[in-house]
Amino acid sequence: MSFEEISHTADIKIRARAPTLEALFSETFNAMMQIMYGTNRASEIVRKIRVESSDDESLIADFLSEVLFISEVESLVFSDASINLDGLCLTADLRGELFDPVRHSGGSEVKGISYSGLEIKHDANGYMLDIIFDV
Amino acid sequence: MLEGVKQIGVNEWEVPIGYVAGMRVPGRFFLSESLGKTLEPGAVQQLANVATLPGIVKNSLAMPDIHWGYGFPIGGVAAFSVDEGIISPGGVGFDINCGVRLLSTPLQYKDVTGRRDLIDELFRTVPTGVGAKSALKVSQQALESMVVKGAQWAVKAGYGVERDLMRCEEGGFMKTADSHALSAKAKQRGVPQGGTLGSGNHFLEVQVVHEIFDPAAAKTFGLTLGQVCCMIHCGSRGLGHQVCTDHLKALESATRKYQIAIPDRQLACAPLTSPEGMAYFGAMAAAANYAWANRQMITHTTRQVLAKMFRIDYEEMPLIYDVAHNVAKIEEHVLEGKRMKVCVHRKGATRSFGPGSADLPTDLESIGQPVIIPGSMGTSSFILRGTQIAMDRTFGSTCHGAGRIMSRTQAKKKLRGKEIVANLLKEGIIVRAHSDNAITDEAPDVYKSSDEVVNVVHEVGISKLVARLSPIGVIKG
Repeated sequence: MSFEEISHTADIKIRARAPTLEALFSETFNAMMQIMYGTNRASEIVRKIRVESSDDESLIADFLSEVLFISEVESLVFSDASINLDGLCLTADLRGELFDPVRHSGGSEVKGISYSGLEIKHDANGYMLDIIFDV
Repeated sequence: MLEGVKQIGVNEWEVPIGYVAGMRVPGRFFLSESLGKTLEPGAVQQLANVATLPGIVKNSLAMPDIHWGYGFPIGGVAAFSVDEGIISPGGVGFDINCGVRLLSTPLQYKDVTGRRDLIDELFRTVPTGVGAKSALKVSQQALESMVVKGAQWAVKAGYGVERDLMRCEEGGFMKTADSHALSAKAKQRGVPQGGTLGSGNHFLEVQVVHEIFDPAAAKTFGLTLGQVCCMIHCGSRGLGHQVCTDHLKALESATRKYQIAIPDRQLACAPLTSPEGMAYFGAMAAAANYAWANRQMITHTTRQVLAKMFRIDYEEMPLIYDVAHNVAKIEEHVLEGKRMKVCVHRKGATRSFGPGSADLPTDLESIGQPVIIPGSMGTSSFILRGTQIAMDRTFGSTCHGAGRIMSRTQAKKKLRGKEIVANLLKEGIIVRAHSDNAITDEAPDVYKSSDEVVNVVHEVGISKLVARLSPIGVIKG
């Protein structure tokens, strides 16, 4: 499992790889949290969420949009997620902590998840995803 | 220049029909030969994609700060027939009414140079960065008025003076706002963030008027050589981001319902006259109003800091102007000799209304509107004026900034935050930010030269140079 930042002029483009779709979503979630809040994130609080969508690309976009919403209004910074997929229904336990200005202020706010360039591929080696975050 | 793109004049290029399948009109953009060297094929493809959307009139346009975005290119402008055309969040972006305003002061360069305490106090007082919340509380009830009346609400709430509204595009609020089209989530995000700057390329900069190109216009706008001004660049915060997220999803279904073929999912759209199109338009206007109120609240905080520190009156700091650069609006333009209403999308582009245009206060009628073009951190910003040429050629639009040329990944490899801060300090520019990343991401080297971008719009005539401002201090998210 891994993610890397791919060069993109205006925004942040992430490429994630993982053996399963669940792990791929989890890795992309980690990437977004790292961009926003850095690497020093604890897991003291658990927050459950459920998202349904019409296809895999929409599901990851809707999941991450929901995370952005919760993180902002509840001042939560997440460290990791346990994700279950049942078809196009995602349930997840998000583990995190309250936003701490000293440790979490240095990142870039993600304004939204772009559908431009959003792509999930699957081959014998597993799954790969490209996604652009508007920052 | 890229293959398939034709030069049709000095600094002017055409993307012919057929560049991508389904184009209804040609694309057109304004760029110098040297700026063309950094043009990405993706940006031109996006310009061409916009030309495929139903109801587009004249051309899919891009300004010289064109670069690769999502949906529309950054710097993109397109107008759609109000009867047969569409509206798309991809033509506005997540940060609805991201915009910029310039506040004047009675102070001179000598009063503020080297004043780290001023920059420190602004950094302490104006909430910046990820997770920042405002000290100026907005209640749930006040939010309803804020999204309907924008800067006018803010002035009534005590965050400004009546004259400020005369100096905002649209008088500081779009009358078409519909607070019912906002989701509960959007409102929830809006409550704690009124009066916050955000992160990324948003900033508050203390600047000095360094050069005047057009003395008559500068005088009318209220700018004098050596004068200290404050530039505020921010948008509609989480509320605006949520509006885009919510409506993008709703409009995806609408795109299928109305059988509109789109080359990129981010261009999801609906006929402007459809319930889905009207709902987005109403919500987008409400978010735009939130942004005007937000900039007004930051203006208030800035004025309070300056008033206290330099013992000057609040009223001695008039607003020069406030412009939106991510917005869709219904405007009247002349097409083939006939006035017609169109829905103009500006995605990283500034309105540049010329003399005699609607929406200008009486004292600006003969000059045209002030156009504010922020530079990148440490470089010049410019004030221009709107022109008739812009009205004739670009639906009254011009560029919005320098335009990025280096990605954040490249910037992190090549640049170090501390070095950038030290180098800027040598030039007399004090920078405060929450992290090194915030500085490397927005360093001067990651942008096109603002001088060169502004020269193109000046030479083409879609806005004309009035003044150059140089930074002396900047706070960033």
